[in-house]
Amino acid sequence: MKKKLISILLVVAMAAMLLTGCSGNSGNQTKDTAKAKLDYSNIKIGEITSLVVNDGGWCQATHQSLLAAMKELGIPEENLKVIENVAEDQVSVTNAYNALASEGVNLIVGASAGYATFLSELAGKNSNIIVAQQGDQVPNLIGYQIRNYEGMFLAGYACALMSPTDTLGFAASMSEASVRGAINGYALGAKYANPNAKVKLVWANSWYDVDIETQSAKTLINQGIKYMGMEASSPAIPQTCQENGAYCIGYNVDMKDLAPKAVLFSYMWNFAPIYKDIITSVVEGKADTSKYYYEGGECANISAFNEAIVPKDVQDKVLQVKADLASGKIKVFGGELKDNKGNILVPAGQTMSDDKINTQQFLVENVIGSF
Amino acid sequence: MMALIISIGAAAVVYAVSILYAAIGEIFSQRAGIMNLGIEGIMLMGAVSGFLTVYHTNSLALAMLAVICTGAILGLVFAFLTVTLQSDQTVCGMAFLIFGSGLSGFIGKKVTGIATAVKFHDISIPLLHKIPVIGKIFFQQDLLVYCMYIIIPLSIFYIYKTRPGLILRALGENPAALDTAGIHVFALRYAYVIFGCAMIAISGACITLSYTNFWNEGMTGGKGWIAFSLVAFSRWNPGFAALGALLFGGISILGINLQIYLPGIPTQFYSMLPYAATVVALIITTGSFRKQHTAEPAALCQKYDREGR
Repeated sequence: MKKKLISILLVVAMAAMLLTGCSGNSGNQTKDTAKAKLDYSNIKIGEITSLVVNDGGWCQATHQSLLAAMKELGIPEENLKVIENVAEDQVSVTNAYNALASEGVNLIVGASAGYATFLSELAGKNSNIIVAQQGDQVPNLIGYQIRNYEGMFLAGYACALMSPTDTLGFAASMSEASVRGAINGYALGAKYANPNAKVKLVWANSWYDVDIETQSAKTLINQGIKYMGMEASSPAIPQTCQENGAYCIGYNVDMKDLAPKAVLFSYMWNFAPIYKDIITSVVEGKADTSKYYYEGGECANISAFNEAIVPKDVQDKVLQVKADLASGKIKVFGGELKDNKGNILVPAGQTMSDDKINTQQFLVENVIGSF
Repeated sequence: MMALIISIGAAAVVYAVSILYAAIGEIFSQRAGIMNLGIEGIMLMGAVSGFLTVYHTNSLALAMLAVICTGAILGLVFAFLTVTLQSDQTVCGMAFLIFGSGLSGFIGKKVTGIATAVKFHDISIPLLHKIPVIGKIFFQQDLLVYCMYIIIPLSIFYIYKTRPGLILRALGENPAALDTAGIHVFALRYAYVIFGCAMIAISGACITLSYTNFWNEGMTGGKGWIAFSLVAFSRWNPGFAALGALLFGGISILGINLQIYLPGIPTQFYSMLPYAATVVALIITTGSFRKQHTAEPAALCQKYDREGR
């Protein structure tokens, strides 16, 4: 009985010491962080991703952009704390946020639009940690989005230049505004190269499904389509193209190595310029949580051309269009623009507003498909 | 049109085979009285072990060996938990599901998104592949598909026409009776659970070594659950499981093609079709209105304890 009592007391004492130790450390850490002047060497950044950071897709593009921005600003890589595989639910996001907060991060980057609601709530309660989040503009968060339609315009343009027929394909994931923007950008680019170009659209209705993505590509190929664009996360579409003698534009990251005989070039998300700006504002204490970035140009980037399959004249023409997009000579959503139901979206001589582009609920005239 | 039918048919066969290995493995396991809910986790472990082996060795034979060994080891642990320790099969299955999903992601992290140079390629069977339509659908496939053509009749024959098959069925219906007859219930259950898990792991390998040539976390995308539902749908019969898998694969693939031919209908409707078909099929085959016995093994999920008899 005595032994038992002593054991219990010892356990209680140890637990108490442990808890005291933890709280003591935490207090000191908070004080130290508050005292220390924030600069590029000591800023701590947290990143929350829905998959692993080398998923070959969206998370990898986000992670690489963040690392590139940090490198440019001279921030050591070890200052980045990453929590992967965070589900888009309140418990998981709160848990990840708290874990990063306990690590003393100054900035948290949420790499999935599904985190927005939960991060907005958490950021509202703690103004010491700035939260940046991809997707729509949400209270308490610095929001950002890329004009992916610019890169996709180049993709459609290149495919239409190379395709022996007027019909191209597009394999899409889930129907939401930025995905519709990608489809429309691709179709408008194709039309810019060939006024008769049509784009047949298939949906996977999933963000990541190897089977369905493979079948999407096969379905388009069975239609006699040789060139296609994609807005899907796995390398299944490029590999299916390669096995069937078709070609595509890679997506998210450079996919040339995954299907060297099929990928003409890839559309790549480049968040680095946005992250660089956000990090700088945090270090300088000027972060504005009502700010929203909607960037194109180098953010809607394309990879190097696959020299083996993209002719030099096509490369030159694509680069010229890229320059024209940057200079404003080409307006992707410039009028007259009709949807595929015959409605006029933008009258001649006018350009669609950013608000409408960012929340688009239409498919342009030369898209064969619905959502 | 014919090219389209061939394409849909050939894709449905590939899809069906990738879930059939798991479904047949689970049929054997459940026939022995052990339900394994962790199919998805074991498939992922099979997928990643096969991919890692082929990535490092470029050998498909070694990769398949690694896949079978991975499945067998997991089966051994599962059998130890459910047969020897008599733990709750549902809880153990869920634990395997989570464990397999997490561990596969962990060990495959460094090779995520990388493509290998080696995978199972289609082989045309001489003469047979020249049969109109059927030849191109069934006889221009890869080795894993051809193996399944042998496994299906073999497993039906084994279960219904052989003495070990009779013992297997009795194992899931009345293990006590077998024990009385001097047959080692525990050893047999171990064997069938290990065999079942090895088959499930091969299902995972179909995805990384045949369907694609890359690995990504969670890439089975719910196929384990489809395989699990196929078991009840098939009434624990590998032949019906094959038909069910073809039906599910066919409807899945047809849905994508219909987006092209009937673009006016919301595409979500097509995505829903395979699941709606599964629900209808499950109701038809297992509903209480049926006069026939559901064929579910009577001792399924029940602990067998010699001392408890």
